[in-house]
Amino acid sequence: MGSLLDVVDLQTQFVTRGGVVRAVDGVSWDVAEGETVALVGESGCGKSVSALSIMRLVAAPAGRVVGGRILFKGRDLLQLDEESMRRVRGSEIAMIFQEPMTSLNPVLTIGRQITEGLETHLGMAPTAARARAAELLSMVGIPDPARRLPQYPHQFSGGMRQRMMIAMALACEPALVLADEPTTALDVTIQAQILELMKSLSRRLGVAMLMITHNLGIVARYADRVNVMYAGKIIERGTAREIYATPRHPYTLGLLRSVPRLDEPRRARLDPIEGQPPDLTRLPGGCAFAPRCAFRVERCAVETPPLRPIGAPGHVTACWEAERLTAVREPVGGRR
Amino acid sequence: MWKYLVKRFLLMFPTLLGVALLTFVLIRVIPGDVVELRYAGDRGSVSQDVLEKERARFGLDQPLWRQFATWVLGVARLDFGESMWTGAPIWQEIRLRFALSLQVAIMATLVAVVLAIPLGVLAALKQDSWIDYAVRIFSIAGLATPSFWLGIVFILLLLVVFHWLPPMIYTPFWVSPWENLKQLIWPALAVGYRYSAVATRMTRSAMLEVLREDYIRTARAKGLVQRLILARHALKNAMLPVLTVVALEFAFLIGGLVVTEQVFNLNGLGLLFVQAVAHRDYTLIQALVMLVAGVFIVVNFLMDIGYAWIDPRIRYR
Repeated sequence: MGSLLDVVDLQTQFVTRGGVVRAVDGVSWDVAEGETVALVGESGCGKSVSALSIMRLVAAPAGRVVGGRILFKGRDLLQLDEESMRRVRGSEIAMIFQEPMTSLNPVLTIGRQITEGLETHLGMAPTAARARAAELLSMVGIPDPARRLPQYPHQFSGGMRQRMMIAMALACEPALVLADEPTTALDVTIQAQILELMKSLSRRLGVAMLMITHNLGIVARYADRVNVMYAGKIIERGTAREIYATPRHPYTLGLLRSVPRLDEPRRARLDPIEGQPPDLTRLPGGCAFAPRCAFRVERCAVETPPLRPIGAPGHVTACWEAERLTAVREPVGGRR
Repeated sequence: MWKYLVKRFLLMFPTLLGVALLTFVLIRVIPGDVVELRYAGDRGSVSQDVLEKERARFGLDQPLWRQFATWVLGVARLDFGESMWTGAPIWQEIRLRFALSLQVAIMATLVAVVLAIPLGVLAALKQDSWIDYAVRIFSIAGLATPSFWLGIVFILLLLVVFHWLPPMIYTPFWVSPWENLKQLIWPALAVGYRYSAVATRMTRSAMLEVLREDYIRTARAKGLVQRLILARHALKNAMLPVLTVVALEFAFLIGGLVVTEQVFNLNGLGLLFVQAVAHRDYTLIQALVMLVAGVFIVVNFLMDIGYAWIDPRIRYR
């Protein structure tokens, strides 16, 4: 499969009173056609900003993409004029947001909010667009779509609204969907339903997906490949299986250990990562994770580790001490 | 929806009754009555007997509750009685003046809305640019400028530049629209400017708030054209607070333009109000207060309908 999206050395910054925040700091990753790629990390590590940078929706004037290339089907999105970029949004790349409660317009009907994309990008007539919208609603599992179309967002539950967001995103049959924490705001039982829905739809329609999440549990089941982000940089990448079975970065290991496991007895205590993510306006030299890292050596505070291959093909890590990790790796949730 | 509107509609009546009771009591607390004031010129030469007789003629010798009941029952039949000062039927006193005040209020509202919504939206879109600053200066100036002063400036400019003065005598719109507008456009502009300043600032801040909402980002992520995002997604949400200030300001303009009316030699409700209070013309004051309160209540009711129309969350409650 060819590469659909190629992000090369992307840098996005925010100018604040406290200084320049380097939210995304020279990040490269790619998504193949039809593939599901995860972007994982704590709040504030730059994963959402990465997605907004691709859509060129980073809130100006404070936020700005200052460097890099975003190659989508061979075109650099950062070079497009605003009108060409608008034509890409929603029709070729769509986005699903975290908060289904606030991401839908409260004063417009669901039908209106789905059909307007169809009318804008595909030039559909209102009646055709309505028929298609009803089709989309039943596709995402909303019963009785004809009755639902003239209703407003507040008449739906959170899970239903996220289904609507998905219907909206898939309306124009985009090649890539960016899902920014699509299930974070939902009940746990609903989360699984929504994720299953997204997975099956992306398979059926051949849509590539960028799944942004802080939950490694989601990643294992739904992503093909995983990028782990920390402090604006990618610190580990590999197939979901690789990352899960043999994490090669202390941060990834920490994330895995902090996921509660319901399938294991309660003897294991949750193991949070100590400390706070660093202040992105004043990044220390060397590895940004070093202050919180149990594997820290002197070199970590001085030299920034580059991404380097390790283990299976395609598995890369940005850690000087990655080799030591295999020795201490324990089963997730196991006794320490 | 209907339940909501019916409830709002029915609430209008107890509110009016409350206003009636308050007005009735409060004006009688002010010292002096219409009879005393009428004979105040001939101080000392009027016997107590004459005063009592006059009071009896107006029913002022009756117990308060009876006076109130008589009046309220009259109002319920839309009969406001006669002015205690001129003896003319209240309706006749008020009719033309109300038409005039209502027309000025409507025209000023049009001026305000036509100025405020585009300016407010523009300023919000170009926040902190020179356009935004120009709009903000324009609206701050509007807030700081008394309408009557602006009215005087208008008249002077018309006189100096065009050697023309707006007509001084009121012609109802239905008699001659042209003559009518020649006179009333100036107060409408003077009042409308201040009014637009309030509405512009509200539009600007409401738009700024709405433009930061998640659903605007969603609309942009859908690749909609800017015009559609503004008109369909942003403006409709930003209109609720704007509707509120426009409606309340409108209600205030009925009867609240005492000085501006003087400047333009308009015989509106404002002046009538002042005279009625000066004369302790109870029936006229009561009628005027009820009229203004009625306008407020009706405007509020219309505002509720407007809210429900804009925001489905209210409609379905």
